[in-house]
Amino acid sequence: MSHVNAVSFTILIVLFLVVTAVGFAAARWRRADSMLHLDQWGLGGRGFGTFVSWFLLGGDLYTAYTFIAVPALVFGVGATGFFAVPYTIMVFPIVFVFAPRLWSVCRVHGYVTPADFVRGRYGSPGLALAIAVTGILATMPYIALQLVGIQAVLTVLGVGSNSSTFLKDLPLLIAFVVLAAYTYLSGLRAPALTAFIKDALVYIAIIVAVIYIPTRVGGWTHIFSNAGAHLATTNPKTGKPFGALVTPPAGEWAYATLALGSALALFMYPHAVTGVLATKRRDVIRRNMAILPAYSLILGLVALLGYMALASPGVVAGVKAADGNSQLAVPLLFEHMFPSWFAGIGYSAIVIGALVPAAIMSIAAANLFTRNIYRVLFNPHATPAQETRVAQLFSLIVKAGALVFVLALSKTFSINLQLLGGIWILQTFPAIVAGLYTRWFHRWALLLGWLAAMVYGTVVAYQQPVAGEPGSHFGASTANVPGLGHTAYIAVTAFVINLIVAVVLTFVFRALKLAAGTDETQPAHYTADPEDPAAPVAVPTSQAS
Amino acid sequence: MSQPGRTRNTTAIWAVVTLLLLVGIVGTLIVPLYARATPALGGFPFFYWYQLVWIPLVAILATLAYLLTRRATRPRSGQQPGAAAGPAGRGQRDEPR
Repeated sequence: MSHVNAVSFTILIVLFLVVTAVGFAAARWRRADSMLHLDQWGLGGRGFGTFVSWFLLGGDLYTAYTFIAVPALVFGVGATGFFAVPYTIMVFPIVFVFAPRLWSVCRVHGYVTPADFVRGRYGSPGLALAIAVTGILATMPYIALQLVGIQAVLTVLGVGSNSSTFLKDLPLLIAFVVLAAYTYLSGLRAPALTAFIKDALVYIAIIVAVIYIPTRVGGWTHIFSNAGAHLATTNPKTGKPFGALVTPPAGEWAYATLALGSALALFMYPHAVTGVLATKRRDVIRRNMAILPAYSLILGLVALLGYMALASPGVVAGVKAADGNSQLAVPLLFEHMFPSWFAGIGYSAIVIGALVPAAIMSIAAANLFTRNIYRVLFNPHATPAQETRVAQLFSLIVKAGALVFVLALSKTFSINLQLLGGIWILQTFPAIVAGLYTRWFHRWALLLGWLAAMVYGTVVAYQQPVAGEPGSHFGASTANVPGLGHTAYIAVTAFVINLIVAVVLTFVFRALKLAAGTDETQPAHYTADPEDPAAPVAVPTSQAS
Repeated sequence: MSQPGRTRNTTAIWAVVTLLLLVGIVGTLIVPLYARATPALGGFPFFYWYQLVWIPLVAILATLAYLLTRRATRPRSGQQPGAAAGPAGRGQRDEPR
């Protein structure tokens, strides 16, 4: 890793420049009369059809999490890491049910963020503020995960790896500044258009990898038996086996709750909601839930790259030499298995596959900040143009926040960054999804349920040490469930607490006849399907129901 | 105004949609169903191929559900397009309420 592979690096640079050019040019794509409106900068004009949405949502949801973090976990601990597959299976039936309702009510009322909806539904700026803050907070570690993915590729390429800290991170910073620049200019149009390049590269790299690499490392039977043998050996750091090839009974709760919790959480993330709201019609969302699983197949195959990496002695040695950084497993596998030019394609797929979602995430967080913090606390009468300028600026700030997470948290398994975000974002589920169906819950009960769950989830996550490093923090995302005796994803335990508090307090607050707040939505708004994105349907003012 | 036949029909469609989607969730949620190594398929332990097979299955289930929801929301024959549209526009009866 001491010298830079010129061929791979050149291909990466060229493809990066192509994506950059497309990112800047995207500002002119589907151009509207006035671009200084959040519907334009933040939602790409709300006019994407099935085809563009498939690429945008795919580019949005399948990230460095898929290409780096999941295979790293499979490489490190085996079957547990495969939970990402049932996660990306369960997510589509779940989202199929509620996303069209969210789309409709947001289209009718011109809502740009999930917190906009919560404010309108419950007449509660406080609850909306909680939703917005949670969204921004949860997005930062997710963006950080994208940075870790880019870092892994640069490390394997040997770019700056032997120099000072500043020089080491310089290529990453340059990539990020360029990304920030075209996101600032083009808004959601940039990731929507660059997602085409990303997905083309990803599909090519992964399909070739899963067909070609097994022939190089001794076939699937050998890959699995080798992985099983390795996982059964003792990890010197913990004194226990590394993992297992099949989830043991003790790990079944963790496996199921990691999958279910992640699936419930995914479309609570601001960037996923942004992808949904940018679609043209209700139909587009449901149709996409039927065709997005194509990406899940890629995710499943990418996860198995972790086992292929275990079957390649060069990769295992390389990870060991890098202080056990399993995030390097996939880039190292590409380096060892592919000719330089194709490794360059694979690296580009990972890097661009991290940049596209990072752009969408920062836009979504910026929408939240602008609509639900800036507008509420600082400038209630902001014009659309002012909103757009604030959002552009905040998209830069949120990226800086992500850097803090990269520097501050353990990178043994970068997936913990995403899982930490999941613990937080899942706590917005009751307010948003229950709110799509019923006004039964009291707004303050939802707020207090959220608060209890956020505190519980954060404290418990903080208490989890990194494996083999007692006294360290934020090292795992699963913990023992009090009173149950099973280990489960902290997000799900916190979610149950959230629901219990919200239900109990709703009864109490209703009995006390505390004001429920004004609901500006009507039942028909949840199933509406207005055709013209430019002209939201006029909303007759309604009384609280 | 009300058409009980149609309502019953729509409710039945939504029940089937719900069932299809539930199957898609439960298939991989119940981990003891598949947490074992055998029978292997093409070198893949059961644990792995079982879950991978669910990916195309859930795509099929979601497609069926999508087609059914289209059926449930299609305007009745003989009805003027948009006749039932209130402030919300077409697709108003998209879901049972």
